[in-house]
Amino acid sequence: MNQCVIFMNSALEASGLKHLLREQFDVQALIVPNAAQLNAAGDVDTLITDAITFAANVKSMLPRQSRTIILTHEAIANDGSITIISYKTLDELTVKLNKLFSKQDDEKAVASSTLSQREVDVLRLVVSGCINKEIADRLGISINTVLTHRKNITAKLGIKSVSGLSFYAMMNGIVAPQ
Amino acid sequence: MPLIDHNTKICDIVIKEPSTVTVLNRFGITLGVGDKTVATVCNEHGINPDFLATILNTFINKEYFPERIIDGFSADEIVSYLSKTNAYYEHYQLPNIERHFQLLISKSVPHNNNLGLMLDFFHEVKQELMSRIADDRDRWFPELLSKSRKTSCNAIKEVNDNDTDSIEDKIDDLISMMVIHLQGDYDTNLGVAVLFAIVSLKNDITQNNRIRNRIMRPMHEALSQQPQL
Repeated sequence: MNQCVIFMNSALEASGLKHLLREQFDVQALIVPNAAQLNAAGDVDTLITDAITFAANVKSMLPRQSRTIILTHEAIANDGSITIISYKTLDELTVKLNKLFSKQDDEKAVASSTLSQREVDVLRLVVSGCINKEIADRLGISINTVLTHRKNITAKLGIKSVSGLSFYAMMNGIVAPQ
Repeated sequence: MPLIDHNTKICDIVIKEPSTVTVLNRFGITLGVGDKTVATVCNEHGINPDFLATILNTFINKEYFPERIIDGFSADEIVSYLSKTNAYYEHYQLPNIERHFQLLISKSVPHNNNLGLMLDFFHEVKQELMSRIADDRDRWFPELLSKSRKTSCNAIKEVNDNDTDSIEDKIDDLISMMVIHLQGDYDTNLGVAVLFAIVSLKNDITQNNRIRNRIMRPMHEALSQQPQL
């Protein structure tokens, strides 16, 4: 099941949001261009859309088991069945998304200590000897995001030394034993 | 527990803090101490009671910072104690962990590669600790003794004055690997024995790092500021 799907009228806005989710929240989102592909995606954890797209595709949007988030620049009344994020600036959007995705991440951390795919990517580069800047360049993410991933890896695994991480990676088949 | 002084009974110290038995062993004090005080036992063994009390208080209490280091006791005393501590790691604790680890692997399901990799990681930790012991023996301790005898010597390069170090970090990682990530079938009792042996080493290193950082290094700094002959 996909974690998060973005279905928006503006391809540019959808692309920007996908980048924001990946950089800030380690969420890998899938952009769908039309209702048919949304239906093909099936039930997802989170569906993010905008007011225009939502209004034009209500039949595809509801009812859904996934959490539905509507991004809008207007203040809209909400009965609580869907999440409406009204924002004017990117910072405001980031703060409001953080409240939603941080909670989701916390629940996952409690449920499982396994690493996300992105954390595995970072771990693989850490144990290969890459410094943070090299990891950031190779994965196309910021150094701050690399640091966040490294902090999360240590918190999940209880291992902080590079050699300890190397042996963990070998034990779990993330890298080949030397 | 309250601060230890000349009148504290040795048996009270060991009963409240059993880990101090290894410290006392390094001074030649063994179990069966009766109800003798620190002063009595030190008198019998020819030990400076101020030094023993300072070592025990630093070992037990995180918040304890000893005073009167330079005039309270000698460089010979601290070097002798830390040399015996290193010998305990080298000749008892490290071989003990290794022996139990190898027994654990031999008694576990064949091809449990996890245990083999953990033993490899332990060997890396062991190598690092042995390097520190060699550095103590060949550089730090002779340097400190030389300065205390006011003979000329080379400057010691600065080291990170911190109560934690990478050896402790790696031992913590090894403990996490066993507690969190151990997979496959293995002998439960031997697994516990290995874990206890590693935790025991970790605690001893942590407590003795306080002695290194709060007694040995300040003593070295104080001696370095005195004029050499």
